[in-house]
Amino acid sequence: MSDVIVIGAGPAGLAGAIASASNGLSVTVLDEFIKPGGRLLGQLHQEPSGEWWNGMKESERLFLEANNLSVDIRCGVSVYNLEKDENLWNVHTNIGTLTARYVLVATGAAEYPVPVPGWTLPGVMSIGAAQVMTNVHRVQVGKKGIIIGANILSFAILNELQLAGINVDRIILPEKNSISGKAGEPEEVLKTLLHAAHLAPSPLMRFGSHFMKNNWLRKMAIHFYPKSGMKVNGTPLQLRIAAVEIVGKEQVEGVKVANTDAAGQVIPGTEVLYEADFVCIAGGLYPLAELAAVAGCPFEYIPELGGHVPCHSETMETPLGGLFVAGNITGIESGKISMAQGTIAGIAIANHAGKVSSTIDQQLQQAVQQVRSVREQATIQFNPEIDKGRSKMKEIWETKFAPLDKEYSHKKIV
Amino acid sequence: MINMENMVICRCEEVTYGELLSTAKEHKCTARELKLRTRAGMGFCGGRTCRVSVDKIIENTVPNASAGDILLKYQPPVRPVTFGSVGENQ
Ligand SMILES: Cc1cc2nc3c(=O)[nH]c(=O)nc-3n(C[C@H](O)[C@H](O)[C@H](O)COP(=O)(O)OP(=O)(O)OC[C@H]3O[C@@H](n4cnc5c(N)ncnc54)[C@H](O)[C@@H]3O)c2cc1C
Repeated sequence: MSDVIVIGAGPAGLAGAIASASNGLSVTVLDEFIKPGGRLLGQLHQEPSGEWWNGMKESERLFLEANNLSVDIRCGVSVYNLEKDENLWNVHTNIGTLTARYVLVATGAAEYPVPVPGWTLPGVMSIGAAQVMTNVHRVQVGKKGIIIGANILSFAILNELQLAGINVDRIILPEKNSISGKAGEPEEVLKTLLHAAHLAPSPLMRFGSHFMKNNWLRKMAIHFYPKSGMKVNGTPLQLRIAAVEIVGKEQVEGVKVANTDAAGQVIPGTEVLYEADFVCIAGGLYPLAELAAVAGCPFEYIPELGGHVPCHSETMETPLGGLFVAGNITGIESGKISMAQGTIAGIAIANHAGKVSSTIDQQLQQAVQQVRSVREQATIQFNPEIDKGRSKMKEIWETKFAPLDKEYSHKKIV
Repeated sequence: MINMENMVICRCEEVTYGELLSTAKEHKCTARELKLRTRAGMGFCGGRTCRVSVDKIIENTVPNASAGDILLKYQPPVRPVTFGSVGENQ
């Protein structure tokens, strides 16, 4: 039996495993994918400094470091339930039940789609699937594609597809309805893109972002937004065009689109067909927190963090004794931040386990500080109000859970 | 032709947008009730694909439903498993 079981071998899980193991704990890492690295494996982007963020290399580095510390990493293992009995956590997996005193849940984020009529046709995929096929499996997703949904994630992955020589014909919006909501409203989309403009992977979005923060100018901009779109790295971004239906007999053959007004209402009679052999739908990301939920962890709904997140302290502990969380399960942010959060969790676990070295408090302080400074310098920020979301959670923890800390951690979970 | 009305939202249980929308409008219910009435989110993937869509339909059609109250419940197993592998552990 290990001291710690880490669920998820992404940047948060691996960094957590490394921090716990370097403080003398034995650690097992479980991941359902065929190799470690999590979402890092697909990431490749250039920072404003000119440096490249190569997720594949980062995962290899983390894997080797964990390996050197004798961390037991098992891939192809799915965890389907998590529950505590007395002092031990039972981690139920497809290869049997493993137990440990400490569990770090670092299961990351999941994508949500924006359904478009015809989205069940072969050749339609989520934008993340296109990323994985391209950068992890090295499979060409198609010859000519259309991206539906304009957000930071679709821009980042557009760039990766282009680097791989895949032709993305254009980016358009989903038709406005009660699922797509703001993602189908040109003005709202422009607003969020401008918010993140200084971080955006494209020079276009950086250009003019300052003066466009003015409401009136933005309205004018969307009013006069060219039908043919503005180019993002050579690919037209058409904010006033909505996907009405994805068409094809056996597989994707094209997308029927229509012009929209500034609010996203389709203008009748403007339908045309754009040919394509693949379509990527970019909805967005939400914390994948199912295991924390079945374990009985209290949740809070914080939109700035991406939805429902398990309650946690700044040192990544949850109200359930021995259960820790790190990475995108706590809120949608970039890979670097997940890694820094994992380090906090790993040290905090060692601290709880009584592995008290003279430096552990200092290590913990530094790790918390590290997350803040990485966040300040983040190149990719999925939600512009992330700081607000993090403060909300901190406040909730301090008012609701910190006083109960002792009581909670001794309570048996049924 | 596929339109909004007959567009499938829950792919596992083949529940359409039209069905979800009219049920939400008729019963003015929670996401959980919508799920139980239509089976959306109760299939093989455990709601991983349509959970957010089901939440949003309620958020945008039922007055006063704030997203914070909506928590579609999670149940183990959170991944599809064989009876064999569950049985062995019990
Ligand atoms: C499609 C997509 C694209 C992204 N693109 C970028 C990008 O370009 N740049 C960027 O900075 N960030 C990106 N992100 C954000 C990304 O989530 C973070 O960068 C970072 O990878 C999060 O790290 P993590 O360790 O929390 O989770 P992940 O890296 O997602 O790792 C979680 C791991 O947990 C495993 N897991 C989950 N559930 C289970 C289970 N039940 N049993 C066993 N294993 C399980 C998964 O297989 C996965 O390997 C993207 C996210 C997604 C979903």
